[in-house]
Parts: sequence; structure tokens; C-alpha cells
Amino acid sequence: MNLFPMMLGQVVEESFWKRLPGPALYGFLVLGLLFGIGLCFALSRVPSNMRRWVIVSFTFLAGLPYVAAYLWPIPVAADFQTEIPRNGVESVGFFLNQAMDPVGTITNIIQGFLLGVGFYSLVRIHLTKVKRKQENWGFSIVLLTCFVLMAGFGLRDWQIRTFMDDTGALNVRDNWTFVNYAQDFLFEGLYQQMDSAMFSMIAFFILSAAYRAFRVRSVEATVMMASALILMLNLMGALTFAQGSAINELAGNTNNLFLLNFKINTFADWLRSTMQIPAIRAIDFGVGLGALAMGLRLWLGLEKGGVT
Amino acid sequence: MFNWLEGQQYLDTGFVGVLATLLVVASILFNIKRANKGAKNLFIRRIAGLNAIDDAIGRATEMGRPVLMVPGIGPLDAISVQAVNIFAQITKSAAQFSTPVRLCCASAAVYAYAQEVIRDVYTEQGMNDRFMPETVQFVSDQQFAFAAGVSGMIHREKVAATFLLGQFFAESLIFAETSNAVGAIQVAGSTQSTQTPFFIAACDYVLIGDEFYAASAYMTRDPVLVGSLVGQDWAKIFVAGVIMVGTLGLSAEMTQQTDTHREGNKMVPVSESTGGKATTEKKKAADTAVARVFRPYIPEEMTKDKFTREKKPVPEGAEEGGE
Repeated sequence: MNLFPMMLGQVVEESFWKRLPGPALYGFLVLGLLFGIGLCFALSRVPSNMRRWVIVSFTFLAGLPYVAAYLWPIPVAADFQTEIPRNGVESVGFFLNQAMDPVGTITNIIQGFLLGVGFYSLVRIHLTKVKRKQENWGFSIVLLTCFVLMAGFGLRDWQIRTFMDDTGALNVRDNWTFVNYAQDFLFEGLYQQMDSAMFSMIAFFILSAAYRAFRVRSVEATVMMASALILMLNLMGALTFAQGSAINELAGNTNNLFLLNFKINTFADWLRSTMQIPAIRAIDFGVGLGALAMGLRLWLGLEKGGVT
Repeated sequence: MFNWLEGQQYLDTGFVGVLATLLVVASILFNIKRANKGAKNLFIRRIAGLNAIDDAIGRATEMGRPVLMVPGIGPLDAISVQAVNIFAQITKSAAQFSTPVRLCCASAAVYAYAQEVIRDVYTEQGMNDRFMPETVQFVSDQQFAFAAGVSGMIHREKVAATFLLGQFFAESLIFAETSNAVGAIQVAGSTQSTQTPFFIAACDYVLIGDEFYAASAYMTRDPVLVGSLVGQDWAKIFVAGVIMVGTLGLSAEMTQQTDTHREGNKMVPVSESTGGKATTEKKKAADTAVARVFRPYIPEEMTKDKFTREKKPVPEGAEEGGE
């Protein structure tokens, strides 16, 4: 639970999902710990042929609060933290809506454990490379060194700033220690710069991709190139102004308002609103329905996963 | 007594959204059941990007180079699960020819899932020894660190085929162009409509939109997946029908005159808001029944000001609001 509101002296309402420090909370913690240990033990004893059903049941239970919260009547104009439900239906609605945060937190905790699994993979692969002196093993040493330095200096810097700097002196660069300088050099001086450099490379890749895509090889490529050309010209202010003015003058002289449709920005707007947006919406509908079907299959245990 | 209409999502026309979702769910489940019973007339059209998978693996086998697979940089969700399921099929084909694969993950959760699935594939093929630690690897959860890591791998290992399927953002073009630079066949598909054009411009084959979700049904012909796909198609027809009917209905309604129009959350007489200057006017989009489906009225007695509940007692000593 987020303790900051309590530390600021704000009112924190207690619910089934949110306990204030005290005997009840410690009781729940002990019970949760015992339940977790018991669950791990029980899961390790599950026969192989039953494991699928265990996973399916957990997946179903994990998804159930979200489905129930979507379908169960949401109490109208309710403040779930400070108000008391008026009847049984609202009580269930309050319970489900209050459950959303803790269920999300459980997911975050599991993700936190999995991050450790990810780091283990990274370190194992690169340590093996160094140990066996495989091709490009030098890069692996760089990675492992950076890994240790960033983690070490980052953690120490956080400790100093959070627990040892009561007066905020470290907000002034002159008061920095070696650790603060090292963390700043590694994060701001190296990491952020390399991140930006990687991002900026996209500009060159766009150019090379556009060169290949816009070569007139087929009808589709020609249409794509023509559309892109109109949209790019539309972004050139001087050109659209000059062309727009010329069209306005011509339309005025000939008294033919139809000519106004030939302005570049009118073309570009038409392409965007009549061609691009409907196509994107159609794609998004398909993707949304696909995600719904996939989610449904996962939730109900119909998705077998992989090829097994 | 239980009253569904006490729910915020069911007020006025709000239930339409829930009803539409339930209809979609029903059509998917119905078709899954139909397919499981052995319905014969469930057809999936040809998808070029998926037909290219065998060619790409064949090429990698001939060249003796690995196949690279990236499930995007999103978290473990329906998209990455689907991507890994497709990669499982690709790995199955690659394993039959002893072609090495590399699956790079940006999310530790996806990595854990992918590792299990890909290991299962090798086990199923009786090739446990071919599953190496680098077959499935976690690279970084930072977008451009991941992009740099994977690009480096593409260059160093000179991959013969790249499969980019999942949730991609700005790094999509980096992968696609780097793969092109080493002469790899690229098959890509993203659920991000903003990244699909980049893939179309840079890759050899692209799965557009829901083709991505159709992939595993197309490759396995599993009745559950094929039935689900047909259910999605029914839902698409339903959505398209609703759009057509809605467009026609809205257009027809907007030609009519009305003596009441919508102001905020209620309908008021035109004469009242015009100070008696006019009693009727042409209907605007907001006044139509179609618009009401998407912007339901909330009855005044149900609004925040009118709807009262007892407050919980404030614990003694606690300050309201804090600093």
C-alpha cells in the first residue's frame, strides 16, 4: 500500500484491500506469508498432468475481478474511499472497484520477481561468453562492468540523497561527493547521450527506408509516393502559401470556387481525413477484436500456448 | 432488490457498450464451439506474410545463419503472448532443419514466458540439447538499449531472417533497416497502427492489423483458434453494420427539425434557449438518437450533487487533506 498519504498526515481509509499499520495488518502479513509458502509447496506437488488446470484456474481467478468490475453495476457517483455503500449491490461494487489497485499491485510484484529472472539470463549469457572467450567477448566485459557500476553507483547515490541529505545540500553541484559525480557521469553523461544517439539514428533509417519504399515499382508504390509527396509538400509553409494564394487569385478571377479544392493543404486534409483515418480506424477495430478474442481464450484457458 | 440500472455503466443508453461487448464475446465462443464440433466450412484466406515463413527459414538453413525473432517491447499481454505463439511455430520449423533461432525480449515477464514455450518446442521435437541460453534472451527493458543490443546481434550474427511481431514503437525502423543492411528477409507485424507504415516501407512482408492475431490459427488450423477467428469476423461484420446503420441514421435524423435540443446532460426546449426567438431548429449531431447511444444522459437525481451516501467516520487524530 502507498504509505505517502499517511506520512503526510492525510486520512487513509481502511478496507479489505487496504489495512492500516496495526495488529490486523501484521496478522494479514503473517497469514499471507504462510499462505504463499503453503501455495508454493502445494504447487510443487501438483502432478504434471494437473499443472495445466492449475495455471488455467489461476489465470481465470486473476481475470475475474476485472470482468466482474466491468459487468457488476458500478455505484453511481461514488467515492470508493470515503463513502459507505447504501445496499448489498453497492457493497459488491465498492469491493470490486477497491480491488483493482491491489490486484494491479500483485501483478507488479510478480513482474518484479521476473525482472530478476531477466537479469540472471543476461548475466549468465555474458559471463559464459567471457569464460569461453567466445567471439566479441570484449563487449560482454563492457556490459558486465557497466551493469555493476550503474547498479552500484545508482544505489549508493539514491541512498545518500534519500537518507543522508536532510538539508537538500546535494541539490547544489558543489556539495556533490565522488559517488554523485560518478552516477551523474554514468547516467547523464553516458547513458542518456547514447540513448539520444540511438534515437536520432532513426532519421537516417527513415531516409533509407523511404528511398526503397518510394521507388516506383508498382501501382501501390506509385500511389504511396504520390500521397507522401502531397503530405510532405503540405508541411512546407512557403510553398503552400504561394500555391494557395495563386489558387485563391485564380478562383477569384474566374469566379470558379471549385478551383479551391486544388490547394495542396486541401488535398492533404482530404487524404488524412478520408483515406488515412478510416484505414487506421478499421485496422484498430480489427486489432481490438483480435485482442479481445485472445484475452478471452487466455482467460477461459482455451489458448494452449506455444505448440503444445 | 437487485437493480442493474443502479450501475453507472447501465444508465440510460450506457448498457449498449456492455451489450455490444457481450455480443462479440458470444459470437467468438459460439464459433469456437462450432469449430470444435467439426464444422467444415471455416475458411481462412491466404496471408502472404505467413506463407513467407517457410521460405525465410529455408534460406536461413541454406546460409547456415540464425533466425531472429523479436516480440516487441511491450509487457506480457495478449499481444506478446500471441507473438511468442507464432514464434513457437517458427521455432518448430527451424528446429526440424537444426537452424538456430534467437528470441530477444525487452520484458523480463515475456522472457520467462518465451523461454518456457520455446524450450517446450525443442523438447517436443526431441532436441533438448539444441536449446541454448542464448536461444531466448533478455536484452534490456530500456527501449533504445534494447534497440542497440538487438541491432548489434543482427550485425554480428548476420541473421538470415528477422521476424518482428508484437508491440513496436520508434525502434521498429532500426530493426527493419539493420536487418535489411545484412540482407535478411524481414517479416513484420505490429498492433501499433503508427508503426505499420514503417514496416511496410522497410520490410519484405507485413502482417497488417488483425492478420497478426490470425497468424496462429492460419499456421496451426487448430479448431479453437480458427473458430475464434471466424467469431472475430462475425464481430467485424457486426461493427461494420452498426457503422453503416449509424451513419445513415445520423444523416437522416440531421435533416429533421426539432423543438428540443441537448444542452450538457439534458434536453431543453429550443424556445427556452433562444429566448423565444425560435421554437424549432434543424437537429444537430448532439441531438440525435445515435449520438445519445455514445453520450448517454445521466438522470439529474443520479448526478454527484444529488446522489448522497453516508461518509465513513474520520479516525480520531487524522487531519483532513494533510499538508
